[in-house]
Amino acid sequence: MSIIQKLKNTIRSRSIHVCYVNVGSCNGCDIEILACLSPRYDIEQYGIYVHNNPREADVLLITGAFSPQWEDKLKPLWEKIPHPKVAVAIGNCPISGCVFNRPETLVDPPVSKHIPIAAEIPGCPPRPTEIISTILSLAPLIFKDYEEKKQ
Amino acid sequence: MKKTVDISLPVGPVHPLFKEPCRIKCETRGEYVLSAEVELGYVKKGIERIMRGRPWQEVMFLAERVCGICSVIHNYTFIEAVEKISGIIPPERAAYLRVIVNELDRMQSHLLANYSYCYTIEHETLAMYVLNLRETVMDQLELITGARVTCAYIIPGGVRWDLPDDRAESLKSALDHIDSELTRFVRIFETGPFIALRSKGIGILTKEAAEAAYAVGPTARASGISVDCRSDHPTYQALGFSPVVRHEGDNYARIMARFDEVFQSVNLIRSALLKMQPGPVRGGGVIQAGSIQYRMEAPRGELLYDLVTDEYGRILEIAIQTPSIMNIQVCAHEMLTDAESAADITSIFISSDPCIACTER
Repeated sequence: MSIIQKLKNTIRSRSIHVCYVNVGSCNGCDIEILACLSPRYDIEQYGIYVHNNPREADVLLITGAFSPQWEDKLKPLWEKIPHPKVAVAIGNCPISGCVFNRPETLVDPPVSKHIPIAAEIPGCPPRPTEIISTILSLAPLIFKDYEEKKQ
Repeated sequence: MKKTVDISLPVGPVHPLFKEPCRIKCETRGEYVLSAEVELGYVKKGIERIMRGRPWQEVMFLAERVCGICSVIHNYTFIEAVEKISGIIPPERAAYLRVIVNELDRMQSHLLANYSYCYTIEHETLAMYVLNLRETVMDQLELITGARVTCAYIIPGGVRWDLPDDRAESLKSALDHIDSELTRFVRIFETGPFIALRSKGIGILTKEAAEAAYAVGPTARASGISVDCRSDHPTYQALGFSPVVRHEGDNYARIMARFDEVFQSVNLIRSALLKMQPGPVRGGGVIQAGSIQYRMEAPRGELLYDLVTDEYGRILEIAIQTPSIMNIQVCAHEMLTDAESAADITSIFISSDPCIACTER
């Protein structure tokens, strides 16, 4: 392993920038992501910073059951995120549509039809601790030795 | 008069300060905002279309998922509406327990709104204090109902579980903690000179404009309109409820109105705990055919459910009117117009506490 790769691994393990995007959720999952910021859970002690800016993000958290307005917006947003990147689906909605996936509905789940999803956290909504532990267990799998794996 | 527009400034839909996607399109001259328009439609799910023709047992959970922040009030309003149709009267203890859970939900919603505002004006310390205090409220909500956000605690004819004495004691000590901590935070907010610079006299909504645009909730009450649907509710009347009204009509008044309502909710829960007598919490009943318009006070203002049921308990027609749509309109057309700085656009918008998920459903 080259020195530069070691350096990148060290830095990336303590610096995860998160962006969240709501593609048609009821706000329940969004406020649980916000609750992660509170000093009780203290997401920043793990080096995770909720930036909410796609151009600086490493992890994209997706909530909601994919409403038609996002049809042409989510993929460009995903492409704006620099490599290495990973998308996590929060809650039942991006996985299956939850209660909204019924006849007459406007939503079009799952989100994995549109962008690659690396991890899914079921729950309506999942607890803040589950969100934090998922990001923490997923990040080393994706970001460690990223350049060497690509070769 | 000819208007000179420098640039059209779009804010959103994915913005660092917005919890939900929406787009504000502003026409600016320099930093001065000439006019603004809010573009919605990013989270439309068609909940009312899904609800039609389904039994109330399903619609009850769908109603709760109209909005995740104020889920209890949607549950409460829907259940009371079908109870009114069927002539079901809940036991007295259940009526007080409903008020306790509803007020806890209102507290967490208001604290979240004030957290967002403090974060928007870059007072991150106070924002984190308020967000941490919200976790205390969420703990109590979880202890009583069993879930943090979508708890489905209120059912026709009563509530799901009783409140045991040890949990009532823990609720009382949590209320004391919230009371003492929030007094400290409100003093920080009142006396902070930089908070005053970003809040006082910014985003003014006059009483006339609020009346003309049918503003509701804390946004209207901060402009001197005494409107609160809780005044008409029998359980709240028994607890001696009277609305909080402020007269300044600026960002500062809206945030302070919400802080005052949190204190008011603490007192309402305390008096409900005192008045509550031991007894049954589930009365039972059968949902019958009928139609009703029923309104209650959500954390953001008046919430209206207009529904028709049939004799099998199915929902034939339903229309929901949520409070945020009026507040978003009045925010775009009255408060944002003539804002002195582009930095105030987000803080004015957040101070009216918009809930996009409610609005679009």
